[in-house]
Amino acid sequence: MDKQDMLKQERDAAWRKELRGEIKNKERTGFERVKMPEADPIERSHSYVEVNSGLSAEEAVLEAKRCLDCANPTCIQGCPVEINIPKFIKNIERGEFLESAKVLKETSALPAVCGRVCPQEKQCEATCFYTQKLKKPAVAIGYLERFAADYERESGNISVPEVAESKNIKIACIGSGPAGLSFSGDMAKLGYDVTVFEALHQIGGVLKYGIPEFRLPNEVVDVEIENLKKMGVKFETNFIVGKTATVEDLKEEGFEAFFVGSGAGLPRFMGIPGENLVGILSSNEYLTRVNLMEANKTETDTPILKGKRVAVIGGGNTAMDSVRTALRLGAEKAMIIYRRSEEEMPARVEEIKHAKEEGVEFLNLQNPIEYIGDSKGYVRQARVQRMELGEPDSSGRRRPVPVVGSEYLLDVDTVVVSVGVSPNPLIPQSLPDLKTTDWSTLVVDDESLQTSVPLMFAGGDIVRGGATVILAMGDGRKAAKAMDAELSGAL
Amino acid sequence: MADLKTKYLGLELKNPLLIGSCGLTGSIDSILKMVDFGAGGVVLKSLFEEEIILEHEKNMKEKLGSQESNLEFLDYFDYQLKENTFKKQRNLIDEIKSKADVPVIASINCYSVGEWFSYAKLLEDAGADALELNLYRIPSKINVSAEEILKGYYEIVKRVKEHVQIPVSVKLSPYFTDLGNVVSQFDMLGVNGIVMFNRFYSPDIDLENNRISSGPVYSNTNDYTDSLRWIAMLKEQVTCDLSASGGVHTPDSMFKMLLAGASSVQVVSAIYKNGHGYIRDLLSGVEKWMVKKQLADIEAVHKFGRELMPNHGEVFERAQFMKYFGQHGEQ
Repeated sequence: MDKQDMLKQERDAAWRKELRGEIKNKERTGFERVKMPEADPIERSHSYVEVNSGLSAEEAVLEAKRCLDCANPTCIQGCPVEINIPKFIKNIERGEFLESAKVLKETSALPAVCGRVCPQEKQCEATCFYTQKLKKPAVAIGYLERFAADYERESGNISVPEVAESKNIKIACIGSGPAGLSFSGDMAKLGYDVTVFEALHQIGGVLKYGIPEFRLPNEVVDVEIENLKKMGVKFETNFIVGKTATVEDLKEEGFEAFFVGSGAGLPRFMGIPGENLVGILSSNEYLTRVNLMEANKTETDTPILKGKRVAVIGGGNTAMDSVRTALRLGAEKAMIIYRRSEEEMPARVEEIKHAKEEGVEFLNLQNPIEYIGDSKGYVRQARVQRMELGEPDSSGRRRPVPVVGSEYLLDVDTVVVSVGVSPNPLIPQSLPDLKTTDWSTLVVDDESLQTSVPLMFAGGDIVRGGATVILAMGDGRKAAKAMDAELSGAL
Repeated sequence: MADLKTKYLGLELKNPLLIGSCGLTGSIDSILKMVDFGAGGVVLKSLFEEEIILEHEKNMKEKLGSQESNLEFLDYFDYQLKENTFKKQRNLIDEIKSKADVPVIASINCYSVGEWFSYAKLLEDAGADALELNLYRIPSKINVSAEEILKGYYEIVKRVKEHVQIPVSVKLSPYFTDLGNVVSQFDMLGVNGIVMFNRFYSPDIDLENNRISSGPVYSNTNDYTDSLRWIAMLKEQVTCDLSASGGVHTPDSMFKMLLAGASSVQVVSAIYKNGHGYIRDLLSGVEKWMVKKQLADIEAVHKFGRELMPNHGEVFERAQFMKYFGQHGEQ
């Protein structure tokens, strides 16, 4: 049975038919999209409380009623891992919240995470019938995903997936981010003995070091990690593969196959004069110090510069996380400097909205070209160039063009450069046979995610450069399937 | 034996022949070969900001991914491309320095003022001995005046000079209403040398295949006269060095440039046409002229040139013009 037939069969289930019959479509489309309850902007901008508080059961059920349970659920096409969206939403509508979570887990290893950080407005919600045909706000699929996953977690009824009989085959997973976690879960289910090697002292990769607690509480990630531990997955922290031990060392220890999900943790800079001044740092460092090393606390051993006038360069989610962190560290003026307009920003619309509510200033169509320091080497000013948008380039985006003679000096005491990251070079550097692209990403087979090194697979940002959490997770699952097939064939 | 040693931009050159910025100066093998044949120095292949912008757009188009999943990775990817470019340039400079004893002049062409001085600083950090600003854009915008364009050029030069300690030269186009004044303004801004002149890519139309094609790429043997004229006219009027570039194909034209007052002579097309070994022929040809005219060194060549052209400047040029047509009519 192909996927479409299966979806049809599930849609024809008696309970789904009954639900559809209970409320007419006209009435369903008349309901207003639910609003996500949020913490007060003034209060939250000085604390790490989660900004979105999540839907109540009543709100979730009401929102679920908006879903028309379409015969052709285009929303699924918008989901990178093709979650059966109508099925999980209709389970919410009928009050079967645990069942709904189960549907999510069929295809997504971390639904509570994805419900919080996935750009649904570009994915499933962009292809929702409401958006495409009715020109109305989409069903709040992301909010509902989060609701179902949170409900399961808070209910204490988290099921530990069944694990097959041990195959006694040791597998190494390099990196504990979303790709590594989903890979490990699937491999553990298949009976492999998985050890995850994490370079940092905490497990979770970018979910922990990159995304602040006000957007994704660590507790949400920890629950998933605990579940993996219960399934037998082992974790080694403070372990840098390529430095602490090489892949060859691990092979000698009996590891037969490898999954590389070491992400993209190498910060990029702009290479402009003055960028080495004290007070200018990458968003990686800034966020890691706060998120993982408690630099925000007074009693910390590793404090961070708590600037009063903080400029964050960039327009992505990481830039938003950084500038909102600056506010929470006590900045009086927290600014985003972005060289295009708000329309071109890669950040989620919700993150931009939250940042504005919290008092972040947006200096759009502007770009720093130089930093000026004081006699002690601390940054004091940024020379900023105003930009205008030119004609669309070959990619269809309008190119930022400097406005001649428009430069001005902006007082700053901290600058966080958030212009993207590159894949970490440690693994490729330690393995000469591992093929990389011009971007330093790993070359893999599109279908199996096999690298140029036998029995070494890879996924997530180290392959894609940049990707959403859900795409990275999808890679982990795909690689697990391919690795299992390879190992089973070899046995 | 004549002594060909000279100084250009304050750099000691074993002879005045520089390989101008071109594809030949983009790879170590080619550079070392030209140095072996006697090149006095090299101007590296220009780094174009526009190339990085185009490469960025290409990446964006090809690799953005469905639902723009790679947008955050790619949004500022041009800066990564810039870093990669400078890494390569640094490696090239390091390799030249470790294997050859010639000054290395880096060359840039940027789009925005900010990037001009950013590139300049990065090249200084990469070990370049001097910098050549390939300062030209086709002035096709119908709403931008000459005054605005010049203001932009002066600003670029001023800012680059503020950011680097190494000598800076400016490679100019001959197409200015007030070229003499422009050179003088750059001179007053502290530029160490002016390169006369830039040769531009010329598009053409391929009638057979109905497409835009490249026009003639190389200069010709008679193309040197503009540079010769301007160097002769300006040599005594500015304090910065003048470097001849364009149409130098023979030892004769190279020697003439030195007589006109050039501190160095940049050669490109002649090497493309005749091969790397032609550098030796050019140098020996110049040396022969020096011996023939009993000129011991480049300073003597310059002095001899000044004596040959006592009234540097327009009057001299006009006198030659009148005389030529006068004689032509009589014939």
